Amino acid sequence: MVHVRSPFLRVQTIAWQTACIISLGLTLGVAAVAIAEPIEVTDIAGRTVTVEKDVQRVILGEGRMMYSVAVLDREEPFKRIVGWKDDLIQYDPDAFRKFRDAFPGRTDKITNYGSPYSGEFSVESAITQEADLVILDYGNLFNAEESGVLERLDKAGIPAVFIDFRERPLQNTVPSLLLLGKVFDREAEAEEFIDFYMQQMRVVTNRVKDIPTEERPLVFIENAAGWFEEGDCCNTFGGANLGKMVDEAGGANWGTKKFPGYRGEASFEAIIADDPDVIIGTGANWSEARPEVKAVLLGYEAEPEAVQTRLGALADRKGFSSMRAVETKRFYSIYHQFYNSPYHFVALQTFAKWFHPDLFEDVDAAANFKELHDRFLPIEFSGVFWASLE
Amino acid sequence: MTDLVSSEVTTAAGSGKRFQARSNRRYLFLGVIGVILTASILVDMTTGPGNLTVDTVIETILDSQAHGVPMEVIVWDIRLPIALMAILIGAMLGAAGAQMQTILNNPLADPFTLGISSAASFGAAVAIVFKINLIPIAGPFLVTANAFVLALSTSFVIYAFTFLRGVTSETMVLVGIALMFTFAALLSLLEYRATQVQLSQIVFWMMGSLSRASWTKIGACLAILAVTMPLFVWRMWSLTALRMGDDKAASLGVNVKRIRVEMLIAISLLASTAVAFVGTVAFVGLVGPHIARMVVGEDQRFFLPFSMLASALIMSVTSIVSKTITPGIIYPIGIITSLIGIPFFVSLILATRRANWR
Repeated sequence: MVHVRSPFLRVQTIAWQTACIISLGLTLGVAAVAIAEPIEVTDIAGRTVTVEKDVQRVILGEGRMMYSVAVLDREEPFKRIVGWKDDLIQYDPDAFRKFRDAFPGRTDKITNYGSPYSGEFSVESAITQEADLVILDYGNLFNAEESGVLERLDKAGIPAVFIDFRERPLQNTVPSLLLLGKVFDREAEAEEFIDFYMQQMRVVTNRVKDIPTEERPLVFIENAAGWFEEGDCCNTFGGANLGKMVDEAGGANWGTKKFPGYRGEASFEAIIADDPDVIIGTGANWSEARPEVKAVLLGYEAEPEAVQTRLGALADRKGFSSMRAVETKRFYSIYHQFYNSPYHFVALQTFAKWFHPDLFEDVDAAANFKELHDRFLPIEFSGVFWASLE
Repeated sequence: MTDLVSSEVTTAAGSGKRFQARSNRRYLFLGVIGVILTASILVDMTTGPGNLTVDTVIETILDSQAHGVPMEVIVWDIRLPIALMAILIGAMLGAAGAQMQTILNNPLADPFTLGISSAASFGAAVAIVFKINLIPIAGPFLVTANAFVLALSTSFVIYAFTFLRGVTSETMVLVGIALMFTFAALLSLLEYRATQVQLSQIVFWMMGSLSRASWTKIGACLAILAVTMPLFVWRMWSLTALRMGDDKAASLGVNVKRIRVEMLIAISLLASTAVAFVGTVAFVGLVGPHIARMVVGEDQRFFLPFSMLASALIMSVTSIVSKTITPGIIYPIGIITSLIGIPFFVSLILATRRANWR
């Protein structure tokens, strides 16, 4: 782990901002004014970074960080966002449109920084935009160091922090939210959401710990089921992310014991031979970025009938139709973006209900997801986010 | 020495004069491409999402503090290293490609023919996936160092094979192809084990990028050029002779085997450094020399510098295009070199009536 200190206090900017705020204060006749103060934070990469509290010009290293930003800045989620990568637009267009329509005209002004997977980051654009914080995904740490992006941002006096909802969601979600709460000066909002999140997670984890191993169903997660036109199976998660979520929800994830990595390609033959009790495919509205996908297009604009048709088509793929999971109707689909979002407690609860219906009969994942929207988000709940084969 | 080169001019009478006239014209071509390249560098320096004026850029170059720290970072840490890196990498690939085509006597040869790029990609992937150092070196240079070590060792493997089977161009090409497939397979194996983020990092590394440019790397490129260039100049006439075939060159007193090994080492250094620093940039090392051959012919005095200048120009234009397609997004240069290089190259082939490769 590399520790980087960002020594730039950006005295000039502070002085300038102070001057602006004071003159504004005088004009309005307001006496008490908050002045930006530098705070020291530790990010998910273990770096200590000095950031001005209440940052105003933020660049998101992934568009899907909006899932968290929206929780903190409910009234105006785009007010600090000056740039982002295009993954929200590309891979979750339903959510993007939901945000765009809730805040007309705001998303057009955000500069597009390209694909989050490219590892490229235009430092020059960040400087030109006078960004005061760049939030990067922890998965890009190595790349940001290797390509000199961190060094250049540091030299230009633009702090960068790493957050993570993907590599180790169960460990890093709370610290990531706390960090965002600090730099956005929205600690109360962050804590309120974290309380809710913890409750929702505990509903499941406190109950499953006593379930004996033999009662845990064997679960196979098919990552992005139907991504390939031919219906090729079987990209799956190891003991990480949604794979870990399966274990935490009282299931036995197929990939956890098979390989050490985060994701891997499973042999379809092995899946047929092991004949898992439960099969869960992930899906999102990829039909715009990739029109030929056969995936279940889950999200805010999904319709139950269309979801069922696509789920049925996935179950009908050669080799699948005779599997136990399909015959017993324990063949499911879940919203893919739960894998990179603090809303993953919904996936955990849904999994738990699928694996142990009696034990979790009283848990209403849909109601909890709706409560998330009603209490914490500026957008309304709609659409379909999971489905079981009928 | 003039006799040797003028063998393409069949009659002896008046050949001296014609040779002189043609030389002059070729100097002119070199001058023209030099001017175009300079213009391209200037455009590169003033292009970017920052919309800096030419004045601001020049003033910041002359006095780094002239317009404050943000401008200094944009000009001195982003634009200048990238602009210079582009032409240096272009020149290195152009030189390596020119000599590779010469010593292998093969118009399809480029610096990566011998499996150097796939070896480098594999080395980079090892660094990205396992974070393993092949030589003890600090973090930021891990990927670069691994790529370089593997690329260079590949050349030594080929070198070792040539001792077993003789230094013929066939041996070198065949062993090179075998190594290329070996490393491609090893790379796939690594990709199979990589996480999603690592996988995309490998893919994007291979597509090439100039934004990893830094002053240290520019220094390294200059050093490699400073080592290899004198060798090329010293062997200029022998290399020109080599293009008439091994037997003819040998009869003119050229030690064919020795020159091949020397060139192999020089090319390996150039190509390994280039690919380690900016990733796999296809096509430049192939096209630059071909353009040079069409414009100035085989005479090494013009062929080599023109190859380098033409390749540098392609890279410089690529650098401009990579950041202008969408402001704020930097497109991988490997894609652009091919996409802008190919139409230009094909049009050149169609425009030239005579055969360029004899």
